[in-house]
Order: sequence, then structure tokens, then C-alpha cells
Amino acid sequence: MKISYEWLGDFLDLDGVTPKEAADALTRLGLEVESLTVIDLSQIIIGKVVEQKKHPKSRNPLWVHQVDLGGRTEQIIAGADNAVPGSLVPVALPGTTVPNGKVVKDLNIAGYSAKGMLCSAEELLLGDDHSGILILDSGKPGDPLTSVIPSQATMDVEVTSNRPDCMGHLGVARELAAGLDKAMKVDFMPAFTGKAEPAGRDMVKVSIEDADLCSRYIGGVITGVKVGKSPDWVQRRLRACGVRPINNIVDITNYVLLEYAQPLHAFDRAKLSGGEVRVRRARTGEKLLCLDGVERELTPEMLVIADANKPVAIAGVIGGEETAVTDATTDVLLEAATFNGPNVRQTARAFGLRTEASARFEKGLPAELALAGARRAAALIAELAGGAVHREWADVYPRPQEPVRIRLKPWLVDEVLGIHVPLEDSEAILIRLGFHVRILGDGEWDVLPPVFRLDVSIPEDLVEEVGRVWGYDRVPSTLPGRRRDRWTPSIPSMGRRLDAARQVLAGAGFTETWNPALVSGRMLEQLRVAARALRVSNALSDDMDTLRTSLLPSLVNVVALNRDRGRTDVKVYEIAAVFLARVGDKTTQQPEEPQRLGVVADAGSTAESGREAFYAMKSVLDACMSELGAAACTFQRASAELFHPGRCAAVFLDSRQLGYLGEIHPTVVGGANLEGRLVAMEIDLEPVLAAAGAARAQPLPRFPAIERDLAVVVEEHVAAGALLAAIKEAGRDILERSRPFDEYRGAQVPDGSKSVALALTFRSPERTLTDAEVDNVMGEIKLALEKKHSARFRE
Amino acid sequence: MSDPQELTQEALAAVARAITENELAAIEVDYLRRKNGRISSLLSDIGKLPPEERAALGQAANEAKRVIEAALAAKRRGLEEARLADIAETEAIDITFPGPPIGRGHVHVLTQVQRQIETVLETLGYQVELGPEVETEWYNFEALNIPPGHPARESWDSFYFTPDLLLRAHTSPVQIRAMQRIKEPPIYIITPGRCYRRDAPEATRLPYFSQVEGLAVDKALTVGDMKGTLLYMIQSLYGEERKVRVRPSYFPFTEPSFEFDVTCGICAGAGCKSCRHKGWLEVGGCGMVHPQVLRNGGIDPEKWNGYAWGFGIERMAMLKHDVDDIRLFYESDLRFLEQF
Repeated sequence: MKISYEWLGDFLDLDGVTPKEAADALTRLGLEVESLTVIDLSQIIIGKVVEQKKHPKSRNPLWVHQVDLGGRTEQIIAGADNAVPGSLVPVALPGTTVPNGKVVKDLNIAGYSAKGMLCSAEELLLGDDHSGILILDSGKPGDPLTSVIPSQATMDVEVTSNRPDCMGHLGVARELAAGLDKAMKVDFMPAFTGKAEPAGRDMVKVSIEDADLCSRYIGGVITGVKVGKSPDWVQRRLRACGVRPINNIVDITNYVLLEYAQPLHAFDRAKLSGGEVRVRRARTGEKLLCLDGVERELTPEMLVIADANKPVAIAGVIGGEETAVTDATTDVLLEAATFNGPNVRQTARAFGLRTEASARFEKGLPAELALAGARRAAALIAELAGGAVHREWADVYPRPQEPVRIRLKPWLVDEVLGIHVPLEDSEAILIRLGFHVRILGDGEWDVLPPVFRLDVSIPEDLVEEVGRVWGYDRVPSTLPGRRRDRWTPSIPSMGRRLDAARQVLAGAGFTETWNPALVSGRMLEQLRVAARALRVSNALSDDMDTLRTSLLPSLVNVVALNRDRGRTDVKVYEIAAVFLARVGDKTTQQPEEPQRLGVVADAGSTAESGREAFYAMKSVLDACMSELGAAACTFQRASAELFHPGRCAAVFLDSRQLGYLGEIHPTVVGGANLEGRLVAMEIDLEPVLAAAGAARAQPLPRFPAIERDLAVVVEEHVAAGALLAAIKEAGRDILERSRPFDEYRGAQVPDGSKSVALALTFRSPERTLTDAEVDNVMGEIKLALEKKHSARFRE
Repeated sequence: MSDPQELTQEALAAVARAITENELAAIEVDYLRRKNGRISSLLSDIGKLPPEERAALGQAANEAKRVIEAALAAKRRGLEEARLADIAETEAIDITFPGPPIGRGHVHVLTQVQRQIETVLETLGYQVELGPEVETEWYNFEALNIPPGHPARESWDSFYFTPDLLLRAHTSPVQIRAMQRIKEPPIYIITPGRCYRRDAPEATRLPYFSQVEGLAVDKALTVGDMKGTLLYMIQSLYGEERKVRVRPSYFPFTEPSFEFDVTCGICAGAGCKSCRHKGWLEVGGCGMVHPQVLRNGGIDPEKWNGYAWGFGIERMAMLKHDVDDIRLFYESDLRFLEQF
């Protein structure tokens, strides 16, 4: 919120404290000053207009003024005509830079010299009025403007939600006074000065029908007010805080809101039918034309202020138009109430209307504040609008504020902060902040927080009060450490273990991406992977309304985005959780969150390039598994949503399925507006990590190997995996390894058949093998292949 | 039959004329081949000579062989030296020509930064703890001392699935789960992970982001210990010259609560454009764990106390790598990701 430095000066002596120093002190205390705007008026002087004439030659309308600057008179030309003779005006002489940045020059306009500038409120940054010259209420010609308007400084202060008392200048000033060790000039509770007869409580009937939503309602009566403009200083301070002046009564309610943080409302008492105020829930169908000109429909969850017949204000949010104070108003009912915070917030949210009042009520205000605010406003109305404040107001207070007491072991301050704060300093700090401290016989303290501090209830809260005023920069940095008899052994995190896979993927040219987990539910449905998806009930937009059940749709979109931006051969992956609603498990409503690896790569545009990319993806998976310390995966032909029906493998680790690997289904590729083919895999990582272990060293072979190639012609449907199994069985203990390295179809093999080329390695751990031995086993392998797969062999 | 000395002279002349290794090899074969070489041929008819001449011829032939071998070796050395002397010229390449791309991929910058943070804190004995992203209302709010209707809930506007089930707004629920699991302090953990808040996407914030929180629960921990831990972390990540300050603030789950700031890396705290003339950059929140939160985690606040802190991984990465728009981390544009 905006805090005026000038205003703070009402409550504590700021002599010798610059706005910057005040701002820094507030930030140290926990009221973070986000920005500080200083308006330096010290170069502007007061002038009195002696004569005003129209410029005879200028084509634009200009007025030539003779201005008394106290002992001398200067000729100054202005474009506005409101500085009539006798007016007191702010003058900037040549060479001065006015607050809005304009540099004043010594000019000659069409034959007339102009020795300065008469300033508007806008030029002095005192408001947004640029229609005319700012006319001053008072001042002596030749004196600096600061003799009537102090230099301005406005701070943007971020008030944390536990400190609604600091949503007003008084609370901020109290903090500053405590921080700077200065005395406060005013008490929290103003004196009550109402004397007029009859008693206010006889002039208005107040009732609270729902004490849960309104714990106090004060209705003060002030009669015979003169509605008009507020004095300059009120208007200036309101403007500095971003509030538009309206009339003196309304301005005073806003002024007190900005001062005490207590929202107030002024009704035209004559317009309250039945002279009655009922605080009740709205009835279905009730409507209210509000002060902002909008008619709002009310619901029974909302609390309203009603007269005998109908709602006249939405409690804590906004007043009604009909009962508003106007120029014709003479009698005012001043409302100072305490409304339930969550209820006000709910109502304000329902209307999408956050007002200065609702922003304060929703934090939860103390009921004692209502009285302080009402008294302050009554005194100001009497002073500035001339009303008579009636004695003994209506004050309905069904839920009196409970006083809080805290038992503090004062050494807790040292224990928590890690530095010694002398007890008398702790005590002095609490007292400066408005706490009452009574020292008990056993050395403990009985502490009473001030009534305006609902946020303080436990000893640790008091430690915080002392700490922030004492200054946390005085607490030295240390590292904890003591002799421990318990510990948890260090185990690498899942993320760190998975870095092994990241290394493999980086080496293979894949870049890691982090994609949002919230995706479009409609997209998941179209892809038919929405069966176990969780939908957000209050999504921001429908492209982020559902938790993803697969990493692949996001990655396909990543390919599309990068293709759009001119990339080819995109290879990307992501390691993240997907979210699957539990099926048939009633013990928890939380979904399964398997950590997955999803990988997608460009796979060219032909069937052949797609086939190659498929095998390349298998190599990537093999390398990841090996680097993670897990056994090799096995594959079974499968079909799955998102995957090409003829090019999809279920991936297994031992007997557990990890996921799928294959070409992305052409309709999915097309659906992402992509051309060509993509290859992908998506596997669960937790089972891989669970099965992983350290690699075990194998002794290096002591005897040479013998390599043989074999070209096997089999029917199309015979898979390489089946050939390998047959070879392994027949290869006995001297077959070290066999690997298919080529597939051939064409003129040299019959239709419907293919030739698979295999590389076989034979080795014995005990001796050097002879060619004859290997020939023998090769013979058995061929025999087995013939028998099992009707294989024939090419030379 | 030739004279060994004549043959020698002839061979030496050939060696002298030769300018390539091939010629030398041809000479070697021609003269020195064991079978039918011109030197060994000298000896083929040695049987016909009188015995007293045989020894002399043998010696002369051996001498010729030795001389020719020596000449060949010397010539070869000369040729090799000449060749090596020339390669600076003959084999010179354009060293400004770029290498071919090696096609390596990149680990995401947020993964890198997260791992750096984890590494630093692991050196202090903290361990990584993980927890679910879809949380219950109790773990996300109530256990952290944020009951329904609490004004601070505004700061954690969340995505809900049911009234009791939501996407976690911070990784703090993991702190509660870790306390419940470990039961008996000391507890020193960090909780990296994804979080979600119902904020419209813009350059400084997103509805999804990642946090690292830290929690220490032990005997007699102090605000000073918390400050020291943060300073150690920041200096380790950004350099020893950085300073940390804590500013009083408010969170329902810590008491006292703070924001922590780091001196601006550009102006070192003096104030400049990039830190909005503050000299300090906001990094995260921290505080002494609220006794009620310890109780909710099953820890007796009379025996133990703790401190905790948290910050966005994106924020740390933005500070470290001068990234000015948080959306870049999740947009997956390779032109961005390949810069790290």
C-alpha cells in the first residue's frame, strides 16, 4: 500500500530522518518498501498574482501575470487563466527543475519576457489535475512552497497478511517509531468528544442477526454537517495514497481507513428507512445498486447492511448508491464495524471486486479498532464539516475481543536468535510496540499484546517482535553442529541416479526438456489416453485443465514447436512424473505418480528411415539401462495408443513391463501438424532403479575368439529374437555372443522371405578353440535353425 | 662376375641419386636380397674359386653389404629428416575452419541448477526427500498451520481436483511427510520438486514452477544457524563475495519468518538498474519452524526446534544465467536449451 512520509510525521518526529532512511528502517522491520518516490518541492516558491492580462499577440490563448515574489515582482506567462489577481500560486523560476522533470527556462514569448512558470498540481506531482494552476490556501509570497506543502515522499509498502494494523499510517508509524526508538505523538485510542443530544443510540436502531459474520457494529450519529470540499491537506494525502477525493464526509472515512486501517462507511441518515440498521444475510433475489454504479445481485452467503426494508450496503465491501452522502446530506450515520474476514473475502471474490475496505476486513480486524476509527472520524467530521457528534452511540458488540496473555521465558529470545539481547532491551522493544510486560517472580514474563495485534499469540511471536526491532543483521551467521548419536546414511537421490541416463541421452544427441504437467484434457481424450486422467476443477484455461498421463504428447508438441522454428532432426526427452488415477484402491485418493522417461526423435519420412530410427531408439534404451546398472530389456511386439500398430514394442525388465517403444502413430504425428515420422519410448523408471546394481567386473578373456558370420534365410514372420534364441541354445558353452547386423530382402531371396545376417563370436574361457570345434558347433546351430525355423543359408 | 668394390660404388651412387623411399627399397632389394641379390650373387660361384681366395671374397662381399646398408640407413634418415622438416608447410591446414558438430544433447538448465543446489547442501549433510505432487489439503495447508479461511491462503491459490485434493503449492508437504517418516531428529533434508499455483503465466511467474526447500530439525538451532546455512549455500553457488540478508516477513509455518535477499551480482550491493537500485535481489523465504508445524509432523517442539527455507529453482537459474523470462524454461525451444 502507499504510505505518505508527510502523514507519518503526524505520529512521530521525523526531523533528521530522510524518507530513504525511514524506508530502509521499515524494510528492516518487515514492512518491505518496494519503491520510494520523492517529490522535492524545496526549489518552488510562493507567489501572489498581482495582475493578469491576456497576451495581446500570441495566437494561442496565453495570460501574462505580474507575480509578487516577496520584495520583487516578475512577469510570468501561463496557458491557464485560473490564477486571477490575488491568487497564491507555486512558482518555479528559470533554472529550476520541477518535480515532473520539466526544466524552466528564461523565455521571451512574442515580445513578452517570461521569468518562470506557474505550476499545476500535475507538474508538482501533487495530483493529476493539469487543467489549471494550483491555487494555494495560504502562504507568504517569497517563502518556499515547503512552508505550506512539505516535500512529498510516497512509499510503496508491502504489508504481510498477518499485519492488517499496518494497512494504515498509524500502524506503520508505530513500527517506525519502535525501529528508530522514538516516541509516538498520539495514543491508539482517541478521546470521544460526542456531546450532542439526544443520545446516538436512541436515533438509530442497530441489530446484528448473524454474530458469526459481524462481531461488532458501531453506528455513530453526527447531525448538521456541511458537505463540501475537503481541505487541501486531506485531498493531497488521499491522492498520494491513490484515493480520489469526493466530498469531506466520504474523504474523512477514506482518510481514517488509510490512517487506522479501519474501514468506515457514512450513510445519509435521512435515507435509511425506519432509522434502522440490520446486519443480516442477504435474501435470495435482493439487489443493490452500488457506489460504483453497478447493480449487484446478492446471495444468502453474503452479509449486508439493511435498513428496515432493503440492503443499503454489502458488508465490508461497498456501499449503496441510494443512501450515499451527497451535497444535500445534513445528518450522517457513521458505520464502524468488524466483519468476518473469510466471509468478506468470499463476497468480494464472488463479485470480482476488491476494495480498500474488503482488502482490510479479509485479513481479520480487531473489534477494538472499530471504536478507535469511529472516534477519529467523528472528531475529523466535527472539525472539517462542522457537524454535531451525538453522545452515546449505538455499539452492538456480541463477540467481545478476547484479551491474549503470553507467558514468555525471556531467555527464549537468545535461544532462538543465537545472540544475546539484554533483557531490558527486549522489554523496551516490546513496550515501544505497545505490549504490556509484567515480570513475574520466577523470571518469566506475562506479556499482553496491544489490542490491535491479533497476530501475536505464542512466545515465538514475541521473539520475532524483539528480533526484528533489535535487528537480524546483528545476528552472526553460524553453521549448526554438535556431536550426534543418530544420523541417516547418505544415499544418492533418484534425480542423481538418473543422471546416468541423462549422460547417455546427451551423448546420443538428445536434449532434456521440462514441460508443464498440466495439459489439455481434450487433447488427451482425442489421443485416447485420458482414461485415468485427473481433471482440475478450477483450471485457468482449457489447455491446462488436466494432468498428463503420458510424457509423449508434450514431447510430440515440442518437436512441432521446434520444427516451426526451423529445426530438423529434433531429439528430445523428459524425465518427470505422470499422473494416473488409482483404479480400485480406496485407501488413498492420491493418484499414482510414476516417474517416467519419455523420449521422442525425428525418424525421417520413409518406412525405412522409421525402421532404422526404431532400432536406434532401442540402442538408446539399451545404453540407458546399462548405464543405470540394470539388466538389458526384452521386447515383445505390442500395440498401444500413440504408437504405430506395426512398429510398437512392449519393453520388459525381467517379467515387468516398463512401457513402450516404437514409432508414433501416424494420426498422432498428423494431429500435431507434423510431417514425416517420429520414434519414441516411454518407460517407468522406478522399477529400473529398484533393479539396478553396481556393475560387476568380468575377467578379461585369456584366449582368442573366433568370429563367424551366418546369413540365414527365413520366412518374413520369423523374428530375429527367435533366431537368436535358437542359436544360443545350440551354441553350447563356447558361443560367447551372437548379434544380427543386417536384414536383406530382394532378388537373392524368395518372396516372403528375408535374409538375416548374424555375427557369432566363439570363445572358451579355458583354451584356444580350433576351427574344427567351431565348425562343428556351427553345424549344430544351422541344424537347429533348419529344424525350428525352416532356415536356409546363404554363403 | 663383378667386383665387390665396383658394385659398392654403383650402389652408393644409386643411393645418392634416390629421392624417395620406394627407390631406396628397390635398391635394397636389388643389391641386398638374400636370394639373387647382386651382392649375394657374387658369392654364388664362390665354390669355383680357389680356397685361398674364397675368404677374401666373402669378406669383401660382407664389407660391401655393410657399406650399402649403412648408406641406405643414412639416406633414409636424411629423407625422414627432410620430410619432417617440410610437414609444417606441406601438411599445414586452416586451423580457423570449424569442427563438425558432434551432435551432443543438453541437460536442462533447471536440472543442472537443481543438482548444483543439491550438491552444495549435501556437503552440509542434507539429504534429498521427494513427495507427491498431487497432495491432500491437510499436507498442503493445515499441517503447515494454514487453516481454511486463513488470509495467507491467498498467496497459495491452488488447483483443486476435489475439495480435499490439489496440486501442491509448495514442496513444504514433503517436510511434514519426512518428519513423520524419520520421527526422531536430527533431520536435515532438502525437498526439490515441481509446484503449482493458480497464477496466470507472465515473464516473472508461471502456474507451474519448481522449488527447493530445506529443513533442519535438531537441538538448539538458531536464526544464526539458518543465516549461516543460507550464506554457505549462496556463496557456494554464486561466489564468496556474495552477501545474504534476512528481512522479517510472514509465513504461517515459521516463526519468526523472513525473506532472504542476496547482494546483486552486478553492483555488489551498491544499487543498479538490474536490482531496481536496491542492491539486493529477493531469493526466497525462510524462518524458524513454527512449533505447531513440528507438532503436526510428530516432533516435540519442547525438545527440538528447526529452521526451514525455500526458493524457486527458476529464480536461482535466472540469477545465475541472466535469464529474464521464466517462460523460457518450460517452452522447450532448443535454441534456448542448447545454450546451457
